[in-house]
Amino acid sequence: MTHGAHSPGCVAITGVRSFLGQRLAERLATRGRGLRVLGIDLRRPWRLERRFPFERVDLTDPAANARLAELFVRERVEAVVHTAFRRDPTPDVEADHELETIGTLQLLHACAAAKISRLVIASSTMLYGPYPDNPQYLSEAHPLRGHSEAHCIANRVEMEQLVADWSRKRPDAEVTVLRSAWIMGPSFWDQVVRHFSGSFVATVLGYDPLLQFVHEEDCLAAYEQAVLDGHSGVYNVVAPEALPLSMLLRLAGKTALPAPAPLLYRLQDLASRARTGDPPAAFYDYLRWLWLADGERGWNAFGEPIYSTREAWISFVSSRRMRQYR
Amino acid sequence: MIPHEPENGDDDLDRMAASEDLDVTGDAAEARARRRLEQGSVLRDALDGLREELRSRLPSNEHGVDWMALYESLRRRFGSTGMRSLPAEIDEFGLDRAALENTRPWLDVLFDRWWRVEVSGASELPQGRPCLFVANHSGLLPWDGLMVCHALARAHLGPETPRFLVEDWLLRLPFAQSWLTSLGGVRACRENAERLLRTRRSVVAFPEGAKGATKVFRQRYRVQRFGRGGVVRTAIAARVPLVPVAVVGAEEAHPLLFKVEAAARSLGLPFVPVTPTFPWLGPLGLLPLPSKWWIGFGEPLRTDELDPEAADDEILVWRLNEQLRAAVQSRLDEGLHERSSVWS
Repeated sequence: MTHGAHSPGCVAITGVRSFLGQRLAERLATRGRGLRVLGIDLRRPWRLERRFPFERVDLTDPAANARLAELFVRERVEAVVHTAFRRDPTPDVEADHELETIGTLQLLHACAAAKISRLVIASSTMLYGPYPDNPQYLSEAHPLRGHSEAHCIANRVEMEQLVADWSRKRPDAEVTVLRSAWIMGPSFWDQVVRHFSGSFVATVLGYDPLLQFVHEEDCLAAYEQAVLDGHSGVYNVVAPEALPLSMLLRLAGKTALPAPAPLLYRLQDLASRARTGDPPAAFYDYLRWLWLADGERGWNAFGEPIYSTREAWISFVSSRRMRQYR
Repeated sequence: MIPHEPENGDDDLDRMAASEDLDVTGDAAEARARRRLEQGSVLRDALDGLREELRSRLPSNEHGVDWMALYESLRRRFGSTGMRSLPAEIDEFGLDRAALENTRPWLDVLFDRWWRVEVSGASELPQGRPCLFVANHSGLLPWDGLMVCHALARAHLGPETPRFLVEDWLLRLPFAQSWLTSLGGVRACRENAERLLRTRRSVVAFPEGAKGATKVFRQRYRVQRFGRGGVVRTAIAARVPLVPVAVVGAEEAHPLLFKVEAAARSLGLPFVPVTPTFPWLGPLGLLPLPSKWWIGFGEPLRTDELDPEAADDEILVWRLNEQLRAAVQSRLDEGLHERSSVWS
């Protein structure tokens, strides 16, 4: 790990309307210390419009790379955080690929042209893929096997390969890839959280894998550290401790609805085709096999997380519980 | 699944009852509540008395089955569905200490009564330090792993529960995964073994792998090739001794007569095993036969005294690997020689 000599003067955040992008921008903008934040997205973020300038750039536009490069040079951007990814996979496979893979390629071109020295990429431990032959804890060096049935995962795996190739060609640039586990917390929301938010949770009959989460604040703290200090390399961002799914549900007072795997996968396939907002059937593989990541390297670089998996889960559950009474 | 401590609960209730005795207000509802509590405690006392009575009347516990322990474990597992408490600790490999403790009486029965396991050489094992135990593998189900771990746990070598490594295909089966994991089974791969040894936990490995588990009855007690020397490399890198272990009797628990490979793929199995009891008796055929077992621990191979760099010396690793296989085989032959019959 290399520590940058200085923190950057201006940070550009792509996908500033996403949870990670927006919260990170808020954190960095309130930090002061002569740090400027430039938000980039397709649409304006809801809040905080005055605190940092916003530029509308469509990453799927073929001219986006030139536009971004020009923008980076004009604003004297020194670090770029890339969080412009789909929060959840959409049924539009082509558009997802355009944004996640080709969009990243455009951004990498722009960074090369503008000689950006620090790049932080948002990734996920889901890219390791759930497999029964995974070791108990996957290190950062483990190959990303993804999931053959989930196009969103395949896109991100390809995206990480592009980033790795790019950083190999430019050894002087600090490229940080942060692979976070499932994020839990009071304000984060995605398909995974949606799946766990009801009082009945569908599970695969006969399987009770260990799961790990990371609290949203710990995740953001790691991103902030990566932007300010520059730790080049790949890091898993996970909370310590792993708990079995059955125990998590019992902690939350939720009821598991176990269904045999073939039935469950077929039902889920129907649901996701009907666009009910449910994750694709491949999601249940993540509730069936092991895909725990070893967070040691990340903890050494960014410090021990405040929330353990159990605490992150309880923080999520209790915030949901309060929401009922609003 | 979860042990619920009945004593604590009783204490709480009794304390509540006692405190209510102190501030009697005469309120009807309170009096009613107190009476209910008292009645409850009377009932509980009666049940406890009955339990004690049963304990004294049942066959003696010295070398028999501890029926009360079995009953208690079932009660803890299934009898408290209404007020399940949470397991105190689940470690990073998914071992549920409470579940393991609750299963101990059953393991005791299997160990002492079903297979009448005899253990030899356990007293000379290194105390209080992790070891890599290497045993011959037999039988499709990991009974040998469970029994070796149980023997080690009984020998009280250290504070950490020893873990046994399990083949992949077992962990693919529904229920087997969660059950084996909670009892200390870990998927067999080098990363896992290294991590376990690094955190000072002993590991029981079966380097023959599938070749050992799936050999037919005619090849029994012929130790197969030990993979590619992964165990030796792991032991040298982790600086732990390698202890050869011979398990005699497990081959006869599930004697594999034939392997039927047709239609096995669709079931997710490598093949359909045919034993004298399976599949003829259906699920009952999965019950292992009560052969007489003998577990012999051998002289440790001092891989802990080697330089960790030696893990890269392929010639040395293969030589040690072969030495280890020979040690397991010779200990096995000793046990077989001493054995007069399969069943006694």
